[in-house]
Amino acid sequence: MSVRAFDLVPAIERAQLISDKAKTEITCIECCGKNLYIGTGDCLIIHYIIEEKIGSNGKIHLVSEKQGYRHLALKKPVSQLKAASALNRILVLCDNMLVLLNMFDLEPILSGTRIKNVVSFCLNENPIKSNPFSIEICVSLKKKCLQIYKVTEDKMTLIRDVSTTDIPITMCIDGTFICTALPTQYYIINYVTGGVQDLFPYDSNHVRPIITRITREEFLLSAPGALGMFASASGTSQRPPLQWSENLVSVIYSHPYCLALNDEFITVHSILDQQQKQSIPFQGGQHLGEFDGKIFVASAQDIYALIPIPVEKQIQALLVDKRVKEALDLAQVATKTGIDKEKFLKMYQRIQLQAGFIEFSEMNFDEAQKLFRSGRLDVREMIAIYPHLLATSSRFVKCLPPLHDIADIVQLCRGEEDRIIEYKRFLISYLEEIHGTRHTLGAHMEIDTALVKLYAELKPDELPILVASDCACDVGDCIPYLEKHNRHHMLALLHSSHGDHDRALGIWTKLIKTEMEDESFPGVAFMVEYLTHINNSEMVWKYADFLLEKDQLLGVKIFIDRSSSPAQSEDELPSDQVVDYLSRYPVAVVKYLEHLVFECKSEVEKYHTHLSVLYLDSVIRLMKDTNTQKEELDKARSELCRMLQTSSHYRIQLILGKVTELELYPECAILYGKLEEHDKALGILVHKLRDFDAAENYCIVNAKDRDLNFRKRLFQVLLSIYLDPNNERRDSFVAPAVALLNNNKADFDMIKVLQVIPDHWSIGLLSRFLTSSVRKATNRYRMTHIQRMLARGENLQLKSEHIELLRDGLKMTDDKLCAVCGERFSEVTFVRYPNGIMTHTSCAPNKYICPVTGKLFSATQGTALPSVDHNHDAR
Amino acid sequence: MASVTGKRKADLKVVILGAANVGKTTYIHRYIEGKFQQKISTIGASFSLKQWGPYNIALWDTAGEERFTGLSSFYCRSAGAAILAYDLIDEDSFHSLRARFLPLLQAAEPNCLVVVIGMKQDLLTVDNRAVEQKEALMLAKEVNKRTLDKIPYYEASSVSGHNVENVFEYIFQTCLPQEAKNLDGLHVSDLTLEEKAQTGKSCSC
Repeated sequence: MSVRAFDLVPAIERAQLISDKAKTEITCIECCGKNLYIGTGDCLIIHYIIEEKIGSNGKIHLVSEKQGYRHLALKKPVSQLKAASALNRILVLCDNMLVLLNMFDLEPILSGTRIKNVVSFCLNENPIKSNPFSIEICVSLKKKCLQIYKVTEDKMTLIRDVSTTDIPITMCIDGTFICTALPTQYYIINYVTGGVQDLFPYDSNHVRPIITRITREEFLLSAPGALGMFASASGTSQRPPLQWSENLVSVIYSHPYCLALNDEFITVHSILDQQQKQSIPFQGGQHLGEFDGKIFVASAQDIYALIPIPVEKQIQALLVDKRVKEALDLAQVATKTGIDKEKFLKMYQRIQLQAGFIEFSEMNFDEAQKLFRSGRLDVREMIAIYPHLLATSSRFVKCLPPLHDIADIVQLCRGEEDRIIEYKRFLISYLEEIHGTRHTLGAHMEIDTALVKLYAELKPDELPILVASDCACDVGDCIPYLEKHNRHHMLALLHSSHGDHDRALGIWTKLIKTEMEDESFPGVAFMVEYLTHINNSEMVWKYADFLLEKDQLLGVKIFIDRSSSPAQSEDELPSDQVVDYLSRYPVAVVKYLEHLVFECKSEVEKYHTHLSVLYLDSVIRLMKDTNTQKEELDKARSELCRMLQTSSHYRIQLILGKVTELELYPECAILYGKLEEHDKALGILVHKLRDFDAAENYCIVNAKDRDLNFRKRLFQVLLSIYLDPNNERRDSFVAPAVALLNNNKADFDMIKVLQVIPDHWSIGLLSRFLTSSVRKATNRYRMTHIQRMLARGENLQLKSEHIELLRDGLKMTDDKLCAVCGERFSEVTFVRYPNGIMTHTSCAPNKYICPVTGKLFSATQGTALPSVDHNHDAR
Repeated sequence: MASVTGKRKADLKVVILGAANVGKTTYIHRYIEGKFQQKISTIGASFSLKQWGPYNIALWDTAGEERFTGLSSFYCRSAGAAILAYDLIDEDSFHSLRARFLPLLQAAEPNCLVVVIGMKQDLLTVDNRAVEQKEALMLAKEVNKRTLDKIPYYEASSVSGHNVENVFEYIFQTCLPQEAKNLDGLHVSDLTLEEKAQTGKSCSC
């Protein structure tokens, strides 16, 4: 709990005093600037000049020189001395007499009034009216009163007189408030208003009354039970008491410390937490005085100075002892000691950081975090403690003098793995918190590098997000870390986000080949996806082979999805080149061509032919293979058929040649159909395949979107094939022929049908066909009739309306004016709209729109047409 | 807890008085820190600051020992509320309230609210109660000059926390101007929120 706040340094030692008179005993001291005055028991006042010197070892020592002395001839000890430098005077209390002496030659000022019967006096350091050429003192007199004097160079003038109930033993004055101790009670007296406020009782037989001014209107009093009580002018206390030792003789205040002297020790308390901070053994202490920052302590023979240790040193000492809170409290009050704000802030931040590292080393992470944040830690300081985490390319150098004495985390944790991990987790959370905030300024690279490394080790789930975002890490530095923890996939992503696609792809290749392992790698599909979107054809050519060998179906997606993604320019990977390239991969090339033909609707003959040939090849291959399952073959053939049927851009002759060779009749039929050789096609269907349904279907499919005559002709062709008189087996076609005739979907020209139907067919066989045909014809006839009648009716109606419109005459007179230009009609022709508006022909730009009202007259309504009338003369 | 208060004057001063070892410090500690702690005896006095809504409250804990009685009177000065604490199972501690501590309250505000609390309620059994409740109630009634809705008498335990929080809440609500709070409610409201949050924080630590 101890702090070294003060150093005890000898000032004037016995030897120097004794040289004068052997029995000399110090009774009081006073210091003003370099002048030190000593009052002695044998009525001497000795004047010294005392100076601080810094020795070669950096320590302060004091050098004194005696200037002179004066004997007051009163034969009583000098009980109080007070210098008033502004007046060049020194006030001396001796034998209850207060006199003025010259400060330098110690000559008495004869004109100055003496004050008699004085018990004690004190200086008002905070007078209400401050005048540089006068001081205000308070004097306690034996006649039970307190008096306020104004002291000038040669005069002491009484200002105020306050009578008390008993003799004031001691007092202290601040502003208009006198805090005084009567023999049994402390009081606060306002000498202007005369208001008296009692504080608390004490017993002067047991407690020596001591009053010390702390700040404005606050005093520190010695109280029973060795307490130091704080009392404000209003008579209350705003701080808890100090616990002192017994038998105090003197107390002084030097912000933020209270120093109390008894005959064995000088104790130092902080008023911040009321705790004792330092205890300096000092035998026989009798006088303790604070003189504008200088503190002197005297025993009967010796004088020592108490040199305050600079606040920063004290704080550092506290930090060394890991007393963080006290250090911060002390640092905070240091502002009041006159350091300028900026310098203070810098110092305070540094202390916060030092404190932060102490908490850090104690694993008090919450506190550490708060301190680091408010101290604006350059996070690299912390990263640097973790072995290998700081990017090697970082230009960071540790702060000097160092903020901490932590060598590294491993040493701090004595190699305990659990604790190291806890530290790492703290760093992660700290970095995450400042990530992207202004605290990262200038340390972005180091932070990201450290995070990548930490994530690689502890939080692999976070890596993708970090890598995907704008990660500024030093890739080269991260590689060994990521490799060590098998985060190859992340490493690849990192390469990729830094534009090094080749290395990224190289790593993925190895992962797919299982030369390396990383369970986070999604597999071949990921690499395909990546290549699909990469804007670099060189990479595609380089790695596509590998992927196609692995999986043609997935691999070909690179090319398929690529062309559909809008970001890629088409000419980068020309389809021709791709097809050539893919020719080694049969499955892939088929997929790619299918994509071109079916999805991109390419009309390039080459692709269609190529795809058809490939389909055909696969059918051939399957046919040759004796083990082929029927379903498989069917599937292949139906694919081929679909291709042949839907596409119309392939070279039919080429395919036809091969197909005919192989006797693939359905395909032949489709091809003949494409060539518009329907009789051949239907011939194949009927004769070779004997698939009559297919034949009928062929007619329907091919007649689709064609006119009725073509449809009829097509069905007629089929029917003639069935009923071909040259065919020996024509009897077997009777059934399909009848079925065809009875098929509702089929259309025939009845006369032509009747011409080809063999004579020997019974009416019964044909009755259904005939009935339906007659019905259809009748229906058609009637429908036509109705349509004709409707048209005629409409025609009559229009005629009637036309006549109606023309029947009324229109009289054109001179006073009629054009509705648009307002001029008279001078020409024979004019325009009249159905709503009665009449204009010049030149003023009517559109005959469907009335130029005045803007009304639209539909062109289909005959009645609405404006009439250009030639029949009426303008007269 | 003790810290410099000079910057802002407390809006209410609450002082706790009572014979030595009745549990005054423990009671305050229970309220501020939210836990029970056996403490060494208080020397002179100790001091805690509490935020209650927009108000600063100074809690002064005095020493019960007789030698500090003179000082306690000093600490009572301008107190707006006082807690007279006695030990439920120690008759002397109750009598000392009248004899030693009641006179001290003359230094307090004239309208000072005085709450009488019987401490160590958790130690109470069927037959060890030393002071009749009636007497305590009577004391509580006669020491308060102001008119109150109910007689400010409680029996509390710092071990269980019984009648700790609510007693202070009662004191603050009685002594601090509620209507003022409402009057400049608009003005204060956002501040209130913030400071309430702080209060919560200091409780949980």
